[in-house]
Amino acid sequence: MTNQNISLVKVRDTLLVTMPADPDDVTVTTFQEEVLAAMEKFRPKGLVLDISGVETLDSFFARTITETSRMVAMMGGQTVIAGMRPSVAITATQLGLTLAGTLTALTVDRALDLLTHPHPRRQKR
Amino acid sequence: MANRSKLNGTTAVKDIEGLSTQAFLAAIVESSDDAIYGKTLDGTILSWNRGAERMYGYLAAEIVGRPVSEMVPSTKPDEVPQILERVKRGERVDHFETARVRKDGEVIDVSLNVSPIRDASGKIIGASTTARDITEQKKMHEALTQRAKEILDVSTPVLQVWEGVVVAPFIGTLDTQRAQQFMERLLDKIVETNSSVALLDVTGVPAIDTRTAQHLIETITSVRLLGAQAVLTGVRPAIAQTLAHLGINLADVVTRSSLAAGLRVALDILHLKITSQDGEA
Repeated sequence: MTNQNISLVKVRDTLLVTMPADPDDVTVTTFQEEVLAAMEKFRPKGLVLDISGVETLDSFFARTITETSRMVAMMGGQTVIAGMRPSVAITATQLGLTLAGTLTALTVDRALDLLTHPHPRRQKR
Repeated sequence: MANRSKLNGTTAVKDIEGLSTQAFLAAIVESSDDAIYGKTLDGTILSWNRGAERMYGYLAAEIVGRPVSEMVPSTKPDEVPQILERVKRGERVDHFETARVRKDGEVIDVSLNVSPIRDASGKIIGASTTARDITEQKKMHEALTQRAKEILDVSTPVLQVWEGVVVAPFIGTLDTQRAQQFMERLLDKIVETNSSVALLDVTGVPAIDTRTAQHLIETITSVRLLGAQAVLTGVRPAIAQTLAHLGINLADVVTRSSLAAGLRVALDILHLKITSQDGEA
């Protein structure tokens, strides 16, 4: 059994959420609930979802990410998905899990840049 | 009336002037280029043709009566007993690829065919082995595989051209294997160099079909998932026409006709500007 802890930290105007390596369905469901609760409590402008530790992305997790980012948008926040591994990106693409409509960044650092200095070209997506 | 004799119930040959059937068959074995030898069920060598002398370096007089295991590399002690076990059950062993040690100590790659020898009553009394030296063949195969891999390696380089910008020039046609390898290489390079923009240049691609386009789109999608942006460059008129005719939707992809134009887009994304030394853009 791997560690299934989600870390959720508010840093200034941003909510930083870190996912465990191999999140199961319960963890994924918890993730959405905790994020939305934190959105209500802290009213951050942005959400950075750090998935650099995630080794497998299944369709449920992918759908939840897309869904959550839409919900976060409705609550006034911008979501950036950060740090997806190359192997995960390849598998996800092959499975057709393209996370359409979300913003992505190479690292958490870049994600924070994106939230503080949004660029018009990337904003469009 | 011609004198016909039957051997092993299946083989029948006419007597050739002055040669008995037995002697004729022995001559065939003797003149064969392959090594052919017989052994008992416990692995003692009974006969040894000239092909075997050439391949293994032992003369028939030296090796007949000795155990066949003398030619087996010390790393494979169980091999001969296992083969003989199968022969005892009446099975043939075909195209068994392994290694053998010559008299001079050199290890050669061989392909073995081992089949049971039966006496007149059908009882299995030994095994006959035909061995072919495949050392050269194997070397050639390895060299070819290596060469193919090298071609694959050199044909899909990924280069960092600016801080935050990588270029992947595509040359030739994109089959599934190359596309997969290319994608992995590109994504790894993006992470390694922490690059925000990847320019996929298709100037060197002679023609694009649906499959190639699909691979390109998959690559572009993966790049985005990673957190970088892909720009498709080198879209020549012919390529643009094909893509439009194939009905491929590149609406979400930034495309440019030349690599230079793509580099401009990349610098723009990075908020960089090229100025001449007197300060003009």
